[in-house]
Amino acid sequence: MGRVTSPTAPVATTGYPWPIETTRLANGLRVVVSEDRTAPVVCVNLWYDVGSRHEPPGQTGFAHLFEHLMFEGSQHVKKTEHMKLVQGNGGSLNATTNPDRTNYFESMPSEHLELALWLEADRLGGLVPALTQETLDNQREVVKNERRQRYDNVPYGDAWLRLLPLLYPQGHPYHHATIGSMEDLNAASLDTFKAFHQQYYAPNNCVLTVAGDASPAEVFALAEKYFGAIDTVPDIPPAPSGHLAGPAGEPARETVTAAVPAPRIYLSHRTYPFGSAGYDAITVLATVLGSGRGSRLYQRLADGKRIAQPDYIGSYGVDLAHAPAPLIITATAKDGVDAGTLEAGLVEVVQSLIDEPVTEDELNRAKALLTTSWWRQVSTVGGRADTLGRYTTQFGDPATAGHRLPAWQAVTADDITEAAVNTLQPSSRVTLTYLPEKSGEES
Amino acid sequence: MTLITTRPAPGTARPYAFPAIHRVTAHGGTVIAAHLPGQVLATAVLLLDASGAREPEGREGTATVLAKSLEEGTKKRDSAAYALALEGLGAELSPSVDWDAFRVGVSAPAPRLAGAVRLAAEAARTPKLDPSDVARVRDDEVTALRMDWAQPGPRADAALRADLFAAEGRYSRPLHGDPTSVAAVTVDDVLAFHQEWMLRPGVLLVAGDLDGLDLAELAEAAFADTTGQALALDAPLRLSVPAKPRVILVDRPGSVQSTLRIGHRAPERATPDYVPMTLAATVLGGAFTSRLNHLIREVKGYTYGIRGSYAMTRRAGRFEVAAGVQTAVTGPAILDTLGEIRRTQAEGVTEAELEVARSWRAGQLSVEMQTPGAIAGALASLVVHGLPDDYYETLRREYLEATVEQVSAAAGRHLAVDGLTLVVEGDGEKIKADLAEFGDLTEATV
Repeated sequence: MGRVTSPTAPVATTGYPWPIETTRLANGLRVVVSEDRTAPVVCVNLWYDVGSRHEPPGQTGFAHLFEHLMFEGSQHVKKTEHMKLVQGNGGSLNATTNPDRTNYFESMPSEHLELALWLEADRLGGLVPALTQETLDNQREVVKNERRQRYDNVPYGDAWLRLLPLLYPQGHPYHHATIGSMEDLNAASLDTFKAFHQQYYAPNNCVLTVAGDASPAEVFALAEKYFGAIDTVPDIPPAPSGHLAGPAGEPARETVTAAVPAPRIYLSHRTYPFGSAGYDAITVLATVLGSGRGSRLYQRLADGKRIAQPDYIGSYGVDLAHAPAPLIITATAKDGVDAGTLEAGLVEVVQSLIDEPVTEDELNRAKALLTTSWWRQVSTVGGRADTLGRYTTQFGDPATAGHRLPAWQAVTADDITEAAVNTLQPSSRVTLTYLPEKSGEES
Repeated sequence: MTLITTRPAPGTARPYAFPAIHRVTAHGGTVIAAHLPGQVLATAVLLLDASGAREPEGREGTATVLAKSLEEGTKKRDSAAYALALEGLGAELSPSVDWDAFRVGVSAPAPRLAGAVRLAAEAARTPKLDPSDVARVRDDEVTALRMDWAQPGPRADAALRADLFAAEGRYSRPLHGDPTSVAAVTVDDVLAFHQEWMLRPGVLLVAGDLDGLDLAELAEAAFADTTGQALALDAPLRLSVPAKPRVILVDRPGSVQSTLRIGHRAPERATPDYVPMTLAATVLGGAFTSRLNHLIREVKGYTYGIRGSYAMTRRAGRFEVAAGVQTAVTGPAILDTLGEIRRTQAEGVTEAELEVARSWRAGQLSVEMQTPGAIAGALASLVVHGLPDDYYETLRREYLEATVEQVSAAAGRHLAVDGLTLVVEGDGEKIKADLAEFGDLTEATV
């Protein structure tokens, strides 16, 4: 860890220089505290180890719809009061659901730490009595509007929804998208949600992280006070296994003709799970390939051949931890360039990662950009709390958060070639192509 | 299991303070720096008086084409070498154009910031601007705008702006131009814009741990070889709100949502009513528990979210409500939206609502101002609007002390439900009949 791989990249011995203290309550709740008194702000963050990968067939979108219900009141918090109390005391809040997990977080002026803990404990321990059919019906409509706004009413908006089933086989926990289908959302019943909460919203399925203007002793005592009496849920069923025997055996391809302004290609491959050494190599590889104007894609297709639009080119990994995570590579054709030319160009650049070793300059550039992006992620108490929650949930120890940056910095050109050889072969490639309905049409 | 039934009282608040501000001047320019102890990352923003408002008529988008041309090589190095030098420091250039300024920003770990600022200044002051590169960037920008305008929103925004600012020249046109105006931008327009507006020293905003930054070195990097004096300020535009509502359809066949942009003109940023207006808009459409979001999302389920706000720049302002609503409920959603605007204008706000708005706005000054980027943005507001160094402390106090009477009076003065322009981008065939109810309906040509 932390060995010098180039003469110019400053090497961090840790990506997490703030203190971390942990405890575990008798009911299984893990509590992580990272004190920083710089600003009078504190973030309370909860990672529940439940996401759309836990959803059985016919219940797609339920984990996410459930996340919405968590804002609609609980035993001692009236409908709409949760938002009012957080914002009305100066805080920012949100929650997100992805295939792996569901997280809830609020950053508050630090005198309201106890309020935030009380609110979170109440919806962990007392949501079910407050759940009503009216609330479910309303939030179902809100989520359907979220789907329309984010996916259905936007050119290329459904790419992710189309890539997942091409990448992961039927029955795999990542096969379906977190937003779910309109059909399943319409069929959602109140009892299913009550059962969902009782099954997965358990102190022993949760990590509570507090970062910022609070001491560990204070937080541990408050955690005990508010969360300590919530019952453990025994035998929480695990999600279906995400195991896959290596990369896909044959390529998959889908072509969509839709109301889009220009041809666009997505290439995607399953790689390695987030947190593995292989995925660290993929993270650096994705930056070499598609991040910034110095990347291979930009230099060769936006500059160079000038077949791709400079604003719409890139590659990134989706940080999923419970199965080989996808790498997504995308480019959009310039005026007068057809999809075939663009695809051939993209394929050639991806192949270059296998055939053409990454240079020292390329490696330094990628590591420098990743270093900045890491420090940006942990520049707020909210970013820090979420990072610690992730590493505790997924790897059992918040201190492992400090390992990621040094691990990226230790990736070598050979590591990248090896990762490319193992995961980016044409034989395992997913190709999604969007074609405009009428060529040359303007909006 | 026993949950704690009573809501805990707050602890003792620590006093609020904006980070300490330091200044260094050199070559006619000023570095304004905020000290953020312990931050690894630092941000610098070169703030130049070269806004979109300075573009010639019919060539809207000139500044944006220039912004995107800055990285096509400098007098010292070609574009590939420039990208490698800057990104090798972990920095990327973020040039941006708004109604008041041209910004060129960079972020990097503090020890690398000076190098990044040197490169940012090299691009801003001495870009190569080879004619064939500029022409290509211009063509790419036309394509990029077409991509952007294929999404719901930009056409509706343009239609609203065209109507609100119809008599105001540059302000009637989109900030970044439209595909037609950008296509008309010539290489000479871009070169002239650079020559005319980008060579004055301007201001360098810095946010980071100043113990590791040499401000004199940053000033030298930003201001060496600059010329000219700061420009005089232009007067605000004359404010007018029409006597009756107008309804404009932006047709988007097959759209599953209708995009609403409903607004009218408002005072510019310097208005003495800034604080009560902001709080009134927070009650109406700013917070999650606002009147609009509560009714249209949480009660009716028509939308994923609806927001109402004032946007105020140096010379102009506007009030706007923005939302995407399901096509089938376009009419009812507009009716409810107008109802809440009318109620807020006529009856003002309640103490309970205002208490949420006050505390939220005040708290956000610390909660949302943690990063070097956010602090640099806050410094930019001080410069652009001529505000004192202790402004954020004053603002916080003014938020907390605002009364129901003040905020209700501001709502009465600065909301005008009968003077709204209602722009709706959606499936015309399905929503036209609904829209005609709200006023004279015209179809936008954007």
